[in-house]
Amino acid sequence: MSSLAAREAYKDELTKLAADNGNIICLEADLGGKEHPFQQSYPDRFFNLGIAELASVDIAAGLSKAGFVPFFSTFASFAALRAAEGVKLALGYMGENIKIVAAYGGVSGGWFGTTHHCLEDIAVIQTFQNIRIACPHGEAETRRVVQEAAASKEPYYIRLSRNDKFDSLARDESSSCRELLFEGAVRSDAPLCLVSIGEQATEICSRIYQENERVNHAHLCYVDRDSLKGYKAELQAAAGTFLVVEEHRAAGGTASSLALLLPESQVYSHDCGEQWPIYGGSHADVLHYLGFGYEALTRQIAELGGDDNDF
Amino acid sequence: MGTLVQSASHSAEFEQLLAKAQAARSSIIDMAARETGCHIGGSLSVIDLLIGAYAKYHQDANTSIVLSKGHSAAALYAALYQYGILSDDPAASYGGADSLFTGHPNPKLPGIPFATGSLGHGVAYAAGWALGQKLLRTSGLGIAIGGDGELQEGLCWETAQLVQAKGITNFIYAVDCNGGQNDGLLADISPLPNLRERFEAFGFQVKEIDGHDLGQIIAALEPDGEKPLAILAHTVKGKGVAAIEGNPHAHYAKISEKIALKWKRGLQ
Repeated sequence: MSSLAAREAYKDELTKLAADNGNIICLEADLGGKEHPFQQSYPDRFFNLGIAELASVDIAAGLSKAGFVPFFSTFASFAALRAAEGVKLALGYMGENIKIVAAYGGVSGGWFGTTHHCLEDIAVIQTFQNIRIACPHGEAETRRVVQEAAASKEPYYIRLSRNDKFDSLARDESSSCRELLFEGAVRSDAPLCLVSIGEQATEICSRIYQENERVNHAHLCYVDRDSLKGYKAELQAAAGTFLVVEEHRAAGGTASSLALLLPESQVYSHDCGEQWPIYGGSHADVLHYLGFGYEALTRQIAELGGDDNDF
Repeated sequence: MGTLVQSASHSAEFEQLLAKAQAARSSIIDMAARETGCHIGGSLSVIDLLIGAYAKYHQDANTSIVLSKGHSAAALYAALYQYGILSDDPAASYGGADSLFTGHPNPKLPGIPFATGSLGHGVAYAAGWALGQKLLRTSGLGIAIGGDGELQEGLCWETAQLVQAKGITNFIYAVDCNGGQNDGLLADISPLPNLRERFEAFGFQVKEIDGHDLGQIIAALEPDGEKPLAILAHTVKGKGVAAIEGNPHAHYAKISEKIALKWKRGLQ
């Protein structure tokens, strides 16, 4: 059975959760698509607020104050940038129980162009503090994150891609997505640990982990500052050098946060660089243009290792 | 509150309300005499709206009142203090180190549901609260008290659009129409022609009142249940202090204690 894309998994999981939690409200900004399952099952708790992202976040704040748990979904660029002031005030400063589900993270918008890409959102949201930031990979992890968000009173920013479908890495059913996940057994003699965030990065790192016995692969689902602090000891035990792979700019990305948290370690970044993605093409095409991907990462690993492959 | 309106100029209850408004004005003047000064012009123009709104609804747990034109925090603090929602006198520490009485409404204080000040947010917050009350099937209201300068923010109109679209009829947007903004007169900077017609076009019931007549204010703060309500409250910037009444440059002021005493003695 094929996996659902994360956006579809979100809609389906939220609809399931709403059966037992009458406080869940689903808000969309004209980007949720027709025949939204939540709307079909719970029309009284579904609101398409139209193209009004900033008002939507503030309206979510009023709903939260009234005791509801609003999930508001739009594209990452509009949630993190257009509605940034509302996110700062309602989620960051006031800690309202609002869950933002931001699709089209990174350059997953492909040929839609730069207005619909978002390589800055983690930096923006991270800056506001107190917001739990999750970048799930695959259907299962997305479902788990949505469950965790619904059960938590914390504000959430959940970053999803567009329509790609991936099988999640195997995770113990009893563990939270807040826990660091190593792929396979941790190789005690590996000098380098790849740290993957988000779907494309995790796929690439998983492939390299399968091919290269001198690397470990740690997948981070949550990348807010508090969650990263919790990973510190486990990461330090895995290697002394880290290469963080994330579909984001370097500025404000997870690599920079980890570098501050791990001053004794070498922390490098494989990211989307500083160019604007001006060309069309698929998600993969745009990533390639930005120098992000399997081949580029393989070269970077080789360069880090030097001739003797000693990191 | 019906009796309050019917016998507006006679009842003891109404006299108490007038006294609250007068005491709040005095408190605002005292805040302007603090080291920081305060946004005195808009605070004195909006204080009667605040006193009226809290008189009518502050004991209704299902109704949320938010001051969206947050720069008039001095007025909000003064009103909340008059109603016992705040126990500490804001004029004693406004703007000072370690004081929660910051220059824009501080949500760490009781009775302040949202951090307003950057304009328009309180309007959308109140709409969300009202939507929540509809879902909960209470009779509660979302009340935003804003300003005419604030209406230059697109967020206000995004919200008006949504209030209409989602049938949020338990929503009141009371606009303190004092005609001024930070740098001068609205009329000179970005006028708001046809304001009544604009709100009507967004599906609002519109009431225009004297924003300093507490009887009119209290009577107006009652939506009809069929439409959201916009109250265009015509006010005077600096109302009550002859020296600054109607002066657009009295948006923010820092005054001496001597002047404060003089202004308080002369409160009209």
